[in-house]
Amino acid sequence: MRTARLYLRLLGAHFRSLLEYEADFLILAVATVLMQVINIVFLAALFAKVPALNGWTFWSVLMMFGLVALAEGVGSLFFDGMWSLAWQINRGELDYYLVRPYPVVLQSSSARIGINGLSNIVMGAIMIGTGIAHVDIGWNPWLVLLAVVLLISSVVIKLSINLATNAVSFWLTSPTPMFAFALHQVGDLARFPLSIYPVALKAVLGVALPFAFISFFPVAYLLDTGQSRWVGLLTPLVAAYCAGVAVFVFKRGLRRYESAGN
Amino acid sequence: MRGYRALIRATARAALTYRFNLLLGLGAVLVQLVSLLAVWRVILADSPVNGFTWPQMRAYLLVAFAAGTMVSLMGDFRMAFRILDGDVALDLVKPIDYQKARFAEAVGGLWIEVVLIGVVVGITLAVTGGVDTPAGSALALFAVSMLLLVPLKFLIVYVSTLTCFWTQNFMGVQWARLAVVNLLSGALIPLAYLPGWLATVAQWSPFAGLTSTPALIFLGRVGVREGLQLVAVQLAWVVVLWFGARLVWRAGLRRLTVNGG
Repeated sequence: MRTARLYLRLLGAHFRSLLEYEADFLILAVATVLMQVINIVFLAALFAKVPALNGWTFWSVLMMFGLVALAEGVGSLFFDGMWSLAWQINRGELDYYLVRPYPVVLQSSSARIGINGLSNIVMGAIMIGTGIAHVDIGWNPWLVLLAVVLLISSVVIKLSINLATNAVSFWLTSPTPMFAFALHQVGDLARFPLSIYPVALKAVLGVALPFAFISFFPVAYLLDTGQSRWVGLLTPLVAAYCAGVAVFVFKRGLRRYESAGN
Repeated sequence: MRGYRALIRATARAALTYRFNLLLGLGAVLVQLVSLLAVWRVILADSPVNGFTWPQMRAYLLVAFAAGTMVSLMGDFRMAFRILDGDVALDLVKPIDYQKARFAEAVGGLWIEVVLIGVVVGITLAVTGGVDTPAGSALALFAVSMLLLVPLKFLIVYVSTLTCFWTQNFMGVQWARLAVVNLLSGALIPLAYLPGWLATVAQWSPFAGLTSTPALIFLGRVGVREGLQLVAVQLAWVVVLWFGARLVWRAGLRRLTVNGG
């Protein structure tokens, strides 16, 4: 509880300094909204000409896009500091974190706030909401609960992949998170139904880097579409596994940390 | 002229140093190529949609990839940082034109981009099958269009980077530009699929010349006469933006304050 409260205070400090630059704040927010709007225009234009993509309708693909946007948004708004981990290691900034009585990983991830995350969360929620309103799901209390669990798991998977790939910087010692960013871009493939890809890509997105569990499998389960809807039920397990691996990688990396030395 | 040639040579040699940045910049375009190839392969498997068959769409996406990769190494980030932290003052005292110098740098990086395009297009063709190359006159027009794309793309990136004179937030401007270009250039989806009014706006905007124009010419979806017209629009925008950029630059300079050091 105390950990969470302190975390929000750390972020709050960055948030207040951000508000000093109002125009910048607006530009970033508008740019992120624009990116999502253009995604929607693209999907609408595509599905205006074809009824479905491998059995997936406009609304279901919209939900997948929304889930990716939402997970990405949570990552930027609350954990953007992860993306500066490479810089922190390179500059030896972790020295300060190591002597403070607060988990290093949380100090690192709260080192920055990405206000673009706010618009991604809002746009993602709108896309998911609109999608859900237009599809036929037999809702009951259990399914609602399950949907919430799936949503949380999806966000946890994205955060874990962010943390694990950024923690690789402990070994690469480059000042920029090239590796993490490259994999982040691969994650954009998972905005489309997994079934359209060749087998090798399916294996990568479903098993090696489980991006498909952020968007595709949860939606497939809820909408009861596709051949393997039960896989969606594994999402919480995958989330737990990813979180475990991420923490493990970070801890092993932290042991290698040897400051900048000056 | 000699100064600019030296800049071109220097950037051409430095290009390899920034190869990771290039690959990273390429990542987004590459991911888009892979996902759109997969999407259209499924959609066009049985029947053509909107007059596009699968081999045509494959060719379209490959041209879009090539067009998206050209002039992506030009170092707009470096230019942005030099404006933001005032180093641009050093560029001002150099006896060469700022805009031409930046263009020379963009040209210098082209060779490595062309090599990468060759590799990716080669692999894609090997995996998914060949494409029909157009007849002689269309091919020549396509080449002209791809050449015009170099100054056109440079100018669009250049003008958007000059906004650093007004805002600290280069990232936001870049994201907005990338998003708008992606849609209005036809890189995300051929303009024929957009609603009529939007397609018309895009067609006459400077962005169509970044993907749609060379791609439509390559596919032979426009005749020679119409193709010439599209290329003329491309050329017109290059001229307008070249002189427009000078106005923006002059206005920006008036806002520039550099603290001594």
